[in-house]
Amino acid sequence: MNSPLQANVLFQLGPVPITEAVITTWAIMVILILGSFLLARHLDTLPGKRQAILELIVATLDIQIRETSGAAPAPYRGFIGTLFLFILIANWSSLIPGITPPTAQLETDAALAILVFLSIIWFGISKGGVRGYFKSFAAPNLIMIPLNILESVTRIFSMFVRLFGNVMSGVFVIGIVASLAGLLVPIPLMALDLLTGLVQAYIFAVLAMVFITATVEESQPTVKDSPPASPPLEERES
Amino acid sequence: MSIDFWSLGLQAVNVTILIWLLSRFFWRPVAAAIKKRQDTVSRLLNDAQTAKTNADAILAEVTTAREGIAAERETMLTDAAQKAESAANLALVNAQKQAQTLIDTAQLESTRTADALRAELTEQATLLAVNIAQKLLSRLDTAVVQSAFVGLLVEAIGALSAEDRESLRAANQGIELVGTLDLNDQEKASLSQALSQALGSSPALTFLSNPELIAGLEIRTPHFALHNSWQSDLATIAKALNHAE
Repeated sequence: MNSPLQANVLFQLGPVPITEAVITTWAIMVILILGSFLLARHLDTLPGKRQAILELIVATLDIQIRETSGAAPAPYRGFIGTLFLFILIANWSSLIPGITPPTAQLETDAALAILVFLSIIWFGISKGGVRGYFKSFAAPNLIMIPLNILESVTRIFSMFVRLFGNVMSGVFVIGIVASLAGLLVPIPLMALDLLTGLVQAYIFAVLAMVFITATVEESQPTVKDSPPASPPLEERES
Repeated sequence: MSIDFWSLGLQAVNVTILIWLLSRFFWRPVAAAIKKRQDTVSRLLNDAQTAKTNADAILAEVTTAREGIAAERETMLTDAAQKAESAANLALVNAQKQAQTLIDTAQLESTRTADALRAELTEQATLLAVNIAQKLLSRLDTAVVQSAFVGLLVEAIGALSAEDRESLRAANQGIELVGTLDLNDQEKASLSQALSQALGSSPALTFLSNPELIAGLEIRTPHFALHNSWQSDLATIAKALNHAE
């Protein structure tokens, strides 16, 4: 059994090593893209079962984004939804014998975390401008700038380490149990791995939305409180 | 443990491409379909609300119009009933007037007809009575009746005014003495003597006969006539009867 911490390079494409995770990612991409294209081809005003399921997925995602961020879901739907779907399919790809989920490789999770990091910068600048984005590091005051910068890196680091650790450990445990106990014994662990994969995909997507929302809100110009309509109590008593 | 940065970059590119493609082929079309249906439903609801509002307004107009039509119908029926009643009353009055006129005309005509009939019957009855009287008187003794009429003629001459008696005396063309039968000489002499005594003179007498007198003796001049016969008496009676009616 190979170490899950070591990438299995299948072939070289020039200087670029093509690992098993990359191949699996391409397969997942093909499945998702073709599936999306085929399923979302003929959408009608009166939906059938297929369209109703697709709309249920999109509506549920919109509700999650709106409840998490309080903002309109349209700008974030493609990024957050794709992250969730990709991570979910990647985690569940471990059910196919001989397939190692791409999310069990450190490079894939790190790539996802870097995309989240870049998306935070992108949405922060697009909503609050460059000055607003950098001002978000000075919240609540200037003293917090180093800590905020450190937090922006560590929270991303914690994201991909959490995803990598959960998925890799699941694959590692199933491999160990399968090699020691037999073919059918890991099935309960694989069922648990399904739940773990769903939860991790949800957590990764929700955390990405939370980080983006926090940055966007802090990059917005602060609105001063309006003076009270009634005079203070002391003035009224005097 | 080491990180292959080539794989890291390749996976980042892969996921970026996946994000772009899924946004293009999945998230946007499905969200657009949802938005389109929501817009369609909103538009249909707005249209339905507008249609309902219009329908309510039209219903209110129709209700108002129906109430107006009902009121107008009631007014027209009332007017028509009043006009019909007035026309009926007027027609009744006219009919009563016409009937009264017809009745009056018929009564007048009936009265006139009855009067005419009564006059005609009276005239016929008078003629009949005169004829009967003529037939009855013609059976009487002629000599006795003649002598009676001579006395009556003498009395009539005596009853004449002085002027009439003088005009008889002065009649240049003589006096015509008309009887029913031709007189013999003795009767003529007797009669001339009676007249001379009554007039106080002896005028020229001409004796004529006329059976239509029935009985009697009359004096006639060009300007005077003294009727003394049953014919004249009956004529006077008939005239009096006719005038009495």
